[in-house]
Amino acid sequence: MNQNNSFELNLFKSFKEGDETAYTFFYDKYFRRIQSFSVQFIYDQDEAENLAQEALLHLWQNKENVESLNGIQAFLFTYAKSKCLNLIRHNKVKNKFKNDLLNHKERELDIEVLNSLQFDTLELTELERIILESISELPPKTREVFIKKRFENKKNAEIAEEMEVTLKAVEAHMTKALKILKTKLSDYLFLIFILIYNN
Amino acid sequence: MTSELIYKYLSNEASEQEVEQLFEWIEASEENKKQFIILKKTWALTALSGTISREVPVVALQPKNKIRTYFKYAAILVVLFGLGKLAFYFNERTTVSKEIVLELGDGRLEFFTEKNLNTLVNDKGELVARKFPDQIVYFGKVQDKDVLYNTLKIPYGKTFKLKLSDGTLVSLNSGTTLRYPEQFGINGKRNVYLTGEAFFEVAKDKQHPFIVHSDQTEIEVLGTRFNVSAYPEDKTVSSVLVEGSIKMSEKENPLNTVLLKPSQMAIWQNQSKKITTKNVETSFYEAWTQGELAFNNTPFSTITKIIERTYDVEIINENAVLAKQNFTGSIKISESSVENILDLLKRDTPFNYSIEQKTITITPIFHN
Repeated sequence: MNQNNSFELNLFKSFKEGDETAYTFFYDKYFRRIQSFSVQFIYDQDEAENLAQEALLHLWQNKENVESLNGIQAFLFTYAKSKCLNLIRHNKVKNKFKNDLLNHKERELDIEVLNSLQFDTLELTELERIILESISELPPKTREVFIKKRFENKKNAEIAEEMEVTLKAVEAHMTKALKILKTKLSDYLFLIFILIYNN
Repeated sequence: MTSELIYKYLSNEASEQEVEQLFEWIEASEENKKQFIILKKTWALTALSGTISREVPVVALQPKNKIRTYFKYAAILVVLFGLGKLAFYFNERTTVSKEIVLELGDGRLEFFTEKNLNTLVNDKGELVARKFPDQIVYFGKVQDKDVLYNTLKIPYGKTFKLKLSDGTLVSLNSGTTLRYPEQFGINGKRNVYLTGEAFFEVAKDKQHPFIVHSDQTEIEVLGTRFNVSAYPEDKTVSSVLVEGSIKMSEKENPLNTVLLKPSQMAIWQNQSKKITTKNVETSFYEAWTQGELAFNNTPFSTITKIIERTYDVEIINENAVLAKQNFTGSIKISESSVENILDLLKRDTPFNYSIEQKTITITPIFHN
């Protein structure tokens, strides 16, 4: 199913035995993903980066408890989830809005979202596959804009500058990407339904 | 309108005013809130895919993996003996051109696409199965004797897995049709009808023998793992037993029967109506269920047929030397693309090939 499976499986064994090179591989693989996940809840790039670092350090220290290759991401995401929840509950998340009630409401809602996440390994693997597929089907330029925006959290203006296109073009690509993904989104929404509500 | 607002919010581009507007919508009903939570969840989880390559579409081989894949094939070539070569053409586009079709007992047709995850409901509105892109899982208790048969058709280029309501797992190979009951009846035998190739892992149930019917034979089992190959274009039906015990019989003449032991293969000849057995290495017959093509001293003509089914291509072999050869080795289907394989093979033994749409023509090398 996964091209890298046997390759990663070997690395996983080495990682369990304390091989730092193998650990570095997983570090590189998951660092951005944990950061990108966390930033959706704590709204601070630097904080999210710290959190991702902590999560990965925690992984190294607890490698005995990780039982499978898929367990690595489940472990990391579970850690990130509880860290985010802690930060929100202890008011460590910066206020985004002038309206304090709105800040409060957003946090409450984020807590609900986080609590509804179960990092079942099946869910993560299946989602990853579907998402990768959906994104890979976007037209090349649109994909580039989308990735910069979504996974590198860049502003439209930055993207325009990097890609040497107009701001309008970036916006147009983003609208296009969202339109395409929206139709696809409805599918994996269903998948999330069956995976999350089934247990 | 609202969904635009949600996306704007999620991508951190919404103004405070817009966020206020969004929260009003969220608070308007439980339904809205639920919908939002699911969207945000999906959004946060899509951060998973941050590792994807920016320039190279997934269907193409990524440069990073190219070298590894290359060595893998180099290793496979060592395993291949003889002067053999084979060619296949994996065109990603063809996988969407044909769909898996499920014909329900009442004549309704269901098409399987990536965009078509769904549940199956019977006429009483009860959930009987869940559909995934490459799998259906049936469940629910066995009902009365009104057994409804479904027909599932797998086109060339696809494989599929099916979990029947009794828990039996069936892997279906490309170009296969299986007729099976949505839910098995309380009494009697568990009958399914096969054209093509399938691997069965039959749930144990001594009271209800499981029977695989093909055109002229039937295979009766109690609980076991075995492969059946009954393609109409082949002149044989063969079954390889991995575990347990099965009995293959001629339909017209039930006395014409053999009992198989594990690691044995039974072969029915359409012409002579004889059933013969031999000992085999079962892993070769199971490999396709793991996404591999495995050949054990297999004639090239058989290999081209398998490749045609697996990749939904047509192979024209005009290379007479090649046609006479047998091959041994295995190949991971998901990792094979035509270019690197053909180029490697050409390095091993020079030959010419051409690809036009879905047709591959293999020719001997011409000296000029």
